[in-house]
Amino acid sequence: MSAKKKFSTFLSRYAVVIIFLVVTIAATPPSGLSIRYILQELITRLGRNSFLVLALLLPIYAGMGLNFGMTLGAMAGQIGLIFAVNYSIAGWQGLVFALLVGLPISVLLGWICGLVMNRAKGREMVTGYILAFFMNGIYQFFVMYMLGSVVPMGNKAIVLSRGYGIRNTLNLESVRQSLDNILVLRFAGFTFPVVTFIVIAVLCVFIIWFKKTKLGQDMRAVGQDMAVAESAGIPVERTRIIAIIISTVLACAGQIIFLQNMGNLATYNAHDQTGFFAVASILVGGASVTSANIANVFIGVMLLHAMFVVSPLAGQNLFGSAMIGEYFRQFIGYGVIALSLVLYAWRSKKAAAEARISLRGANNNHKDKIEITTKNGGQA
Amino acid sequence: MNESTGEKSIGNAKNAKKRRLIIRSGLLVVYVLLIAFMIHSGRRHTILIDNKDAHDDSYIGIDGMEVSIDNKEPLEYYRGDRDKAVVQGQKHTIKVEIFDDGRKIEESFTVPLWTDMVIIYVPRLVNGIEPWLEPFTIAEQIEESQESWSPDDEMSFESMGSPQLEGVENTTPTP
Repeated sequence: MSAKKKFSTFLSRYAVVIIFLVVTIAATPPSGLSIRYILQELITRLGRNSFLVLALLLPIYAGMGLNFGMTLGAMAGQIGLIFAVNYSIAGWQGLVFALLVGLPISVLLGWICGLVMNRAKGREMVTGYILAFFMNGIYQFFVMYMLGSVVPMGNKAIVLSRGYGIRNTLNLESVRQSLDNILVLRFAGFTFPVVTFIVIAVLCVFIIWFKKTKLGQDMRAVGQDMAVAESAGIPVERTRIIAIIISTVLACAGQIIFLQNMGNLATYNAHDQTGFFAVASILVGGASVTSANIANVFIGVMLLHAMFVVSPLAGQNLFGSAMIGEYFRQFIGYGVIALSLVLYAWRSKKAAAEARISLRGANNNHKDKIEITTKNGGQA
Repeated sequence: MNESTGEKSIGNAKNAKKRRLIIRSGLLVVYVLLIAFMIHSGRRHTILIDNKDAHDDSYIGIDGMEVSIDNKEPLEYYRGDRDKAVVQGQKHTIKVEIFDDGRKIEESFTVPLWTDMVIIYVPRLVNGIEPWLEPFTIAEQIEESQESWSPDDEMSFESMGSPQLEGVENTTPTP
């Protein structure tokens, strides 16, 4: 491969990462923020978001693309937290309680999501996206009407004044940073939420281990070619459903970790952009629709959030309005997803064209060889 | 021979099913126990620490003291004070140190699981009057205070310092 072609392949593979790096570095000086502040923010946001983004890996291994349906898991986590606040369960116990409540809900939602996606093979991403909208309606109905009327809520402070439905914003003061603060390490002027990072590390180890198991290998086989996997005796649909269930459950836990760090819950829209930002993160980290790894998650979270930290202030200092930075943040988020999808489609087309050309080339060479041998000795 | 191996395999399959059922049931039990443990150890309660005089004058508030719950930072209380502490779990200790005589009192107490708020009457605790810990419900307290302080009293001319005019009856305001 020539150096030029190598460079062009590298550029197309890592275009999103490069663009992000360049824009973030360019936006840092105008933001006026110190490197120390940005690094501390990145450490905090790494703890807050990594778990959610890691939840995307298994469906990518199973060839189901970027799981926008992870929003369903986020909803389950929020329901768990609402119950934790309702029963006044505080501290890490509140988080575990929320997880225990959210777990069966997320398994059920993941199973439904997997079933639907099996009926929409090849269009999993858009199906997941729309499914999340559909489930959002059911979530709203449950939280707005069922809680407090059908499901008794003892804590009147979280119920709307009409007697049923949950308030718009819940104060998660009882569980606020209860995971982060179990063990805090202060090193070189930086604060590290050790237990949160341990939980994330355990999930990474689980993913590495899981890839080596029979089920993990099956997932990868299904991801590479469903027809071949089917003929090899792998239960393709079941494997895909399991991938989505695990992803949804991880999203449930990820949303709980995210919200405990934030300290409040926007009851009706906190989950709206969970999938969107997680997907943007992993894409910024260099992942694609078909391939991703743990490194992509961490690189992506750091780059995307570095941009999120600097862009509002850079916008304010450059254009006199912080809103420009906010718009830029939204624009970048959606732009990254669009760019990644376009690049992925372009690369797939290019790879297919190259494969066709190489196949033709091989056939032509073969024909040439036959002609040469017939001319020389009459042997074909 | 073949029959015996067939029976064996059927038996093994049955055993495997039984084992799976037992494991799943066990997991379910562990799941429920875990939820129960989280509620038991993680439930928050508000403790009101009261240093007011009794309504029936059976005791009076302590002039000055320090109170700490579960070895947390002690707070100073003077006669007529009431403050709150938020605790997690059911079993707790209260330490009282009275300024006048330097007496130190330490007591353990248990907050009922589903009670959100309890009140500790410290003067009762110090004087050995039972019960010094009672469940506290805001709604009940409001009702009690309304019962003991009728709207007639509140709205009468007397309560406002004006003499009762002859021939003019007290009228309660209608909503």
